[in-house]
Amino acid sequence: MQRRVAIIGIGYTPFRPITPELSFKEMMFEAAQRAYEDAGVCPRRDIDAFVTCEEDFTHGRSIFNIHMPDNIGAVLKRIHTLPADGIYGLADAYMLINTGLVDVMAVESHSKASNMLTPNYLVAHAMDPVYNKPLAYNPYFIAGMEMNRFLCETGTTEEQCALVAVKNKANALLNPQAAYGDRITLDDVLDSEMMFHPLSRLEMSAPADGGIVMVLACEEKAYALSDRPVWVRGVGWCSDAPSLETRDWGKAVYAQLAGDMAYRVAGIGNPRLEIDFAEVDDTFAYKELQHLEALRLCRPGEAGLMVEEGGTLRDSELPVNVSGGSLGVGRLDEATGLQKVLEVVIQLRGEAGSRQLDDVQVGLAQSWRGLPANSGAVAILSNE
Amino acid sequence: MPVDKVTQVAQTKPLHGEIPVYAQYTFGIAGEKFFRELKDNGRLMGVKCPECNLIYVPPRIYCERCFSELTEWLEIPNRGVVHTFTVSHIDLDGNRLKEPVIVALVKFDGVYGGLVHRLGRVEADKVSIGMPVEMVLKSKTKRVGSILDIDYFKPV
Ligand SMILES: [Zn+2]
Repeated sequence: MQRRVAIIGIGYTPFRPITPELSFKEMMFEAAQRAYEDAGVCPRRDIDAFVTCEEDFTHGRSIFNIHMPDNIGAVLKRIHTLPADGIYGLADAYMLINTGLVDVMAVESHSKASNMLTPNYLVAHAMDPVYNKPLAYNPYFIAGMEMNRFLCETGTTEEQCALVAVKNKANALLNPQAAYGDRITLDDVLDSEMMFHPLSRLEMSAPADGGIVMVLACEEKAYALSDRPVWVRGVGWCSDAPSLETRDWGKAVYAQLAGDMAYRVAGIGNPRLEIDFAEVDDTFAYKELQHLEALRLCRPGEAGLMVEEGGTLRDSELPVNVSGGSLGVGRLDEATGLQKVLEVVIQLRGEAGSRQLDDVQVGLAQSWRGLPANSGAVAILSNE
Repeated sequence: MPVDKVTQVAQTKPLHGEIPVYAQYTFGIAGEKFFRELKDNGRLMGVKCPECNLIYVPPRIYCERCFSELTEWLEIPNRGVVHTFTVSHIDLDGNRLKEPVIVALVKFDGVYGGLVHRLGRVEADKVSIGMPVEMVLKSKTKRVGSILDIDYFKPV
């Protein structure tokens, strides 16, 4: 049995640089409360299963997923917890509903990055403890090395990468939930401090706090509960080699294979024609370009040219990261991918206010799990 | 009853904490051999997958492409090329480094993989992708069986 799956409720807290007034559990509660209100469901009565996506060490705790169920209404219910990006949780919910195991399911992910006092060390301790960690470099060197190789292999320029930051921060000015909207120039980006050559400071997304919850349902329940379901047409995910030594440094192979899977599930043969807009990972400015190429949303090696010609602006043929992306919204740890899904849902519902895109039916959301990972997921959503 | 929110930052009081986590990282079969050769004989060792015709550095006992068990060891020349690099200006605590460090992935001829390390005896603006480099080891008495037994890679 294959059943259609829809997102019928979204709830989120604003994405802010700091959230001193709430514990992360209260933030989850607020996001969940809003999602259940939006979907018109009672979690205790109507939701069959739950999945949460986060990493315990980012909260300065261990095995903290045991503390997940109570604040989202999942006590004495089926819950599983993933140390993975939120789109993996969305994919899980899709599969459980698609196969008929559950009818209504909630997906949760959040970031409380402002509580973490030693974020660089978190990433450093994720590296191979024998071959990489003893070098004790700031782990963002990986991004500098990857950008350098990407530029070398594709001929993309530093200016083209910098334009991504200009675009996304400007887009974020129209998103009231975004933390880092700004009107900046190409020179502002190029003149910002060199961090990990060729990566400069304004090309690196800054962390933000925020919680996101979504309610998904099978077709029958979706029509009963919602007058504006957004359909999950395809999901895909993939991990490239984890080791720094054997991974591909120029191409985002994980995104290419995740995209191929999602396109196959969604029955999309020509992404450039069939995808109306995309929210792709832009943790670093060059990543947006690398991901657009991997997802076949431009010709190989031409993402930089496409951005330069304005081909990803909000009024272009393929608006990319109209939410502001991670550069404009803030990077949300494991909730980063769900923020991209969230924007696609808001756009497909026609609820994006002053940043609403005209006439959109199919949107793509893509995540990368962040340093030092080499994996990611894709979701394709549609309002038809 | 409505929820009353905190409206003054001064009323928020975070509790500071830390996790003292200590661990031992075993090298494993492949790592033991690699670091013993490096320390005792100053040699780089790799492992070959005959199925895929790939040579792994760092070595491992399994192939990530075909999942074969790997047992065919061979010595790797200590000269390679810069596959990619960065000039890192920031230390682990987020402070700017007085002396930026050049970090590179060095690939060896015919080898799948390579080694991540720093480049030495070269100015940052003289480094380029494809540049030939060679391994510089610490003196034998200072080697302990660690990736830091390699001091740096320098231009050939
Ligand atoms: Zn093999």
